Amino acid sequence: MSADEVPLHSGGGAPALEVRRLTVSYETRPVLWDVDASFPTGALSAIVGPNGAGKSTLLRAALGLIPADAGQALVQGHPARAALDRVAFVPQRDAVDWDFPITVREVVEMGRYPVRGWLRRLTGEDRAIVDDALERVGMGPFARRQIGRLSGGQRQRVFIARALARQAPVMLLDEPFAGIDARTEATLLDLLRELRAEGRSIVVVHHDLGTVRASFDWALVLNVRAVACGPVSEVIVPQTLRRAYGTDAVEDGAEAEELRWVR
Amino acid sequence: MGPLIDALPFSYTVSVIALGAAVLGLTAGVLGTLAVLRQRTLVGDALAHATLPGVCVAFIATGAKDASTLLIGAGAFGLIGALLVVGLERSGRTRPDAAIGVMLSSFFALGIVLLTYIGSLNESGQAGLESYLFGQAAGLVERDVTIMAVLGLGALAVVAALFRPLKSTLFDIDHAAAGGLPVRALEVVMTALLVVAIVIGVRTVGAILMVAMLVVPAAAARQLTGRLAGVLVLAGLIGATVGVTGALLSAQSGLPTGPVIVLVGFLVVLACLLLAPGRGVLWRARKLARDRRRLLVEGVLIDLETALHGGPPPTQRELALASGRPRRALRRALRDLERTGALARDGERIYLSESGAASVHAVLERRDLWSAWLEHGWRLELPDAREPDPRDLRASLGDEHADRLRALAAEARS
Amino acid sequence: MSSDLVILLTAGLTATACGLLGPFLVLRRNALMSDAVAHAVLPGIVVAYLIFQTRAPLPIVAGAAVFGIICVLGIDALRSTGLVKWDAAIALVFPALFALGVIGISTYATGVHLDLDSTIYGEIAFAPFLSLDVLGAELPRTVVLGGAAVVANLAFVALLWRKLKTTSFDPQYAQAVDVSPARLSRMLLVAVAITAVISFESVGAILVVALLIVPAAAAHLLTDRLTAMIAITVAIGWVSAIGGLSFASAADASIAGMMGVVAAGCFVLALLAGPRYGLAARAIRRRRAGRRARVALGAAGEGGAAA
Repeated sequence: MSADEVPLHSGGGAPALEVRRLTVSYETRPVLWDVDASFPTGALSAIVGPNGAGKSTLLRAALGLIPADAGQALVQGHPARAALDRVAFVPQRDAVDWDFPITVREVVEMGRYPVRGWLRRLTGEDRAIVDDALERVGMGPFARRQIGRLSGGQRQRVFIARALARQAPVMLLDEPFAGIDARTEATLLDLLRELRAEGRSIVVVHHDLGTVRASFDWALVLNVRAVACGPVSEVIVPQTLRRAYGTDAVEDGAEAEELRWVR
Repeated sequence: MGPLIDALPFSYTVSVIALGAAVLGLTAGVLGTLAVLRQRTLVGDALAHATLPGVCVAFIATGAKDASTLLIGAGAFGLIGALLVVGLERSGRTRPDAAIGVMLSSFFALGIVLLTYIGSLNESGQAGLESYLFGQAAGLVERDVTIMAVLGLGALAVVAALFRPLKSTLFDIDHAAAGGLPVRALEVVMTALLVVAIVIGVRTVGAILMVAMLVVPAAAARQLTGRLAGVLVLAGLIGATVGVTGALLSAQSGLPTGPVIVLVGFLVVLACLLLAPGRGVLWRARKLARDRRRLLVEGVLIDLETALHGGPPPTQRELALASGRPRRALRRALRDLERTGALARDGERIYLSESGAASVHAVLERRDLWSAWLEHGWRLELPDAREPDPRDLRASLGDEHADRLRALAAEARS
Repeated sequence: MSSDLVILLTAGLTATACGLLGPFLVLRRNALMSDAVAHAVLPGIVVAYLIFQTRAPLPIVAGAAVFGIICVLGIDALRSTGLVKWDAAIALVFPALFALGVIGISTYATGVHLDLDSTIYGEIAFAPFLSLDVLGAELPRTVVLGGAAVVANLAFVALLWRKLKTTSFDPQYAQAVDVSPARLSRMLLVAVAITAVISFESVGAILVVALLIVPAAAAHLLTDRLTAMIAITVAIGWVSAIGGLSFASAADASIAGMMGVVAAGCFVLALLAGPRYGLAARAIRRRRAGRRARVALGAAGEGGAAA
């Protein structure tokens, strides 16, 4: 499907991403338990919660990367596994082999493979999309560099560019702001806001409540169970956070910027 | 195969050996690279050991010792071994390295049992099968090499056809799966290709040393190029070259083939690790030394400037005391400075020349610029993701942004 | 001593010596390093023989230790360049050393009872015929050496017990408490090298790896406690020795190989039938947990993966 064919909004106003009764366990221990959550179209949404809350698991189980014990995931109203062409996924960076012999451009080109077909050559249009994505994240001059020779912030830009090249209406990002410098974080946040303005739906697993409060529209507070899901102003509040983190996590009356994740 | 053999400038037997070794090197190089990138080389070791019981079972079952029969036995046991290793890892409690170790030694023990059992049945039974232990290029015949070549070309064709899916799976399996690729199937394909490479090579280098042939070409090639396609091609070429060189050397000297090939390969890898431009150990050490030296020289320049500001031109000893630098380092730096004309001496005393003063100015400006970056860099609106080089910010960011930084810093000071 | 008894004792003592080190190798994820080291001792044997012109145990053990260290240091050096990964480093170093050993043997040592096959599976059948002069008495060489190996490894484990125990389970804590896990691993691997070369005559340096890893991996599936793990490992070792001997004479095949096969059989048994970690037990537990989850979710019969 080319960019024009996949609608940014699904007709009927179905949420961009929805999970129903999602349950995932590892061995006999539940990592996600009976989670109901939906993320609206055209919004910048966050998934927040303490370590081990299952945030990454939720994204990965929704996409079918790990098996779920129970529950469903829907993308724009369609079963997620059948609607993978509507989703661009930016996984966590920790498992990447930075010594892998691959250049910046080649990584971004991977965003086009599922669209063009895994065995067919990329067209001029594909190449233009790749160039565009690279420019948008500021990595144009670095296209031919091997990824190991980049800084942390530059690497994250490359993975975002790959998701951009996919041109999907829904973007899922797993801890994109972990371990990058402040300047890159600011640039990427601006980019996400631009994408939202273009009508895309973005779901981000994020650890910094301050940023979520300031820049995001919608949030799911997760701690194995769904604690709350809704507009940020209603959900990122002391009562909800206390339920997610336990009573010693939040100081009453603390400024949003001082809220910290405590287990 | 015939005309190819005739074309080579060697005797018939040696030509056959050389071709066989080339096929081994080429396939092990390319297919081994996939295993190296997945960090499954030691699984390859276990599978290579699994071929031993495989050839014994094939012989016991069919009574035949021709290459194709034994190949099938080796391949079958290789695949069984692969399934078992994966199964064992997934079962949870046994860790990956222990799983590989158990598989490796168990299959090998089984192979030894079968080998000696065959040997006890009849004297000549063992002959030919034993060459799968240490490798033996000498017994290769044209037919063997043809089979190896056909298998090898088939495997390489699969890699070429599936290049993109393989690249995606190797680099980022989650993204590939989220993009709809059947990653499990691709992993099975890669394991099967590994077994093919092992089955092709194990007759020449032996089961124990086979794993080296999987790693050597990939390790060498990776030092020389940064793109997957390049690594695969180079690995094939390096593997073939190492194989042929080793086989010819061994044929000439009478030493066993497998070990000679492996040693040649090891030396090639060492050379690449040490000498690769931009990446190699020696290259990095030289760069580090050069950077340190430059830092030292800059530091001494500043020390000298400070000393000159505070009093009469210092002697070398006074400078050493004031700067706290070790004598030998100081002497080396001063010599460098003298050579570039930055210094002037008046007897014992050291002055800065005009060009020296200019250099100090440049060094100080560079340091100021870097501090300005640290404090105000986040306010710059850079057009792309470039990051400044601490050694020369002006060059890496451009004049426009460097000037803007100085303006910001000046603003902040006032 | 009867021939059979000599062979049995040799096999059993070798298995015991290996069984004392095996659990630590498995727990510290050093199984494959020990495989590498066992291969790397081959050139040490050749070099020692060339220099000292003798097959007396001491110089050969020294040669093995030296090359064991070279192997470990070589692998560490390759890894620290950052240019190759750890598994590639292992797969580069030990074949090179082993290749050196094979070339050395075929060049210098042919016909001097130092042949290639015995490096692989030893010649335990000859054990009753080799004797060592110990304080005037003629004792079976392999039994003496095997016993020495057991005593040495026992001393090693006993002296370093606390450090071994701490670092095998929690290397990070150990580093904070100023116990260097890397150095301990090196010492462990040197002990492996020495054990390997001592077992060279009986089971061959290569099948030593089977005795080092397989019984310990099986014991790992049967218990959580370190002392129990060591005891079970040694017990499985003896079972492999006895079983190996019996089956091998029945089938007229390599004794050492058969020991490896019996050990593998024990592993398979532990894997399938282990009370806590065996596959059968886990399948039962998982099914029970799944049933409980479905009942709790009130979705009996619905189950299944995400759409």
